[in-house]
Amino acid sequence: MKKLLHTILLFICLSSVNAQAGGVYQKPDEFINQVFNNNPPKAEVLWLNKDLKKQITDILDHKYNGLRIRYWQQSENSNRKSVWILDEIGKEKPITTGFVINNGQIELVKVLVFRESRGWEVRHDFFTDQFKQARLNSDHNLSRSIDNISGATLSVRAVRKLAKIALILDMEISKK
Amino acid sequence: MSNRKPKRFTAFLWHRRVGLLALVLIIILSITGIMLNHTEEFDLDGTFVDNTWLLKWYGIEPDDEPVSYRVENQRNGKQSSHIISSWQQQLFFDNTAITKLEQNIHGAIGAEQFIVVALDDEIILLSYEGEFIERVSTSISFSDIQRLGIKYKRPVIETSEPLYYMADEHILDWDVIINEDIEWTVPYTLNENEYQQLLIAYRGNGLKLERVILDLHSGRIFGQWGIYLMDAAAIALLWLSLSGLWVWSSRRRKMRKKKHYQKHHRNL
Repeated sequence: MKKLLHTILLFICLSSVNAQAGGVYQKPDEFINQVFNNNPPKAEVLWLNKDLKKQITDILDHKYNGLRIRYWQQSENSNRKSVWILDEIGKEKPITTGFVINNGQIELVKVLVFRESRGWEVRHDFFTDQFKQARLNSDHNLSRSIDNISGATLSVRAVRKLAKIALILDMEISKK
Repeated sequence: MSNRKPKRFTAFLWHRRVGLLALVLIIILSITGIMLNHTEEFDLDGTFVDNTWLLKWYGIEPDDEPVSYRVENQRNGKQSSHIISSWQQQLFFDNTAITKLEQNIHGAIGAEQFIVVALDDEIILLSYEGEFIERVSTSISFSDIQRLGIKYKRPVIETSEPLYYMADEHILDWDVIINEDIEWTVPYTLNENEYQQLLIAYRGNGLKLERVILDLHSGRIFGQWGIYLMDAAAIALLWLSLSGLWVWSSRRRKMRKKKHYQKHHRNL
């Protein structure tokens, strides 16, 4: 009986830790400063044309709320780096994620703000590192397979969608 | 000839009575059950109830008063006027809900190209047609916004320090300016008609159809006794299936007996 009580107490403690695991992991401005070594370039905006909106809607499975997206870009020699901070709802609330794209492939993914009560495991490096070096295939899928996390399926799906969108947007600005 | 009345079968009588009594509830249970099984197809999650009686029944009343700003602008020779309101963590453009808010509103102005709405450390850009353009975190330049004003048709922010920042034409970059010739926004008090229109808009997004169907299915829509009513309907359904089986098997037995009697005692 005592053992059972201890197990229940442990379970309650672990549940409360899980419930509090969400929050602001890094402020978006800190993320931008970190990526550009405290010398960020001026923000630019990409207005979404009809074709881009359709591509984003197809990936998200719902309409994108917004007409333009802000980004930060720096080019050195033949190296072009762009940073995108994007939101997508996991289950009920938006997950804010920062993406660094280097010459058309993902250099860094970081979950910045997690507002849901479950699925926060996507913030860990073991998950976000899977996106490194990923590119877009001709059929607009990621070139690397991203493993699911049990119990965080919707959050994983949201970050995966955002990664594709970040790559599409980067491709669009590279045409400029 | 016998005067004896034909013996009425008790289980059958109760089967009929219970069936008639539970008819309406079972119809409700079945239809709502089917709807809940196909939430996405029926778009129950995305459909909002705007029936006044039902909204009153649910007691959907906002806890506080809206904070509104009147935005006026002259573009292409046309004067436009809109009301931007924040109410119960929702942003409204006139009477249309635009987006959810996580922060307090500190003003709204009509800049040259966009309507600018200032929150604690975010700004929201809307088009003059009420389209959501962008939500921008201002924390890279400043935070803790206190007031929003306008100068040369460009938005000006006052922070708690206080420092004054003016945006460029495209609202991409902010420069520190001195506090001079800034026209600060002041909240606008809605008249009765505007308030009622906004209330309707607010309520329209307050109750999802899924909630109503779910509560109809569980009986909660009828209050605490509603749950027991639906429990009774479920028990009635159970009774109907068991009594139906009982009536069917009894009749079968009776028919067999009758056939047996006719076969073996036809000469009597």
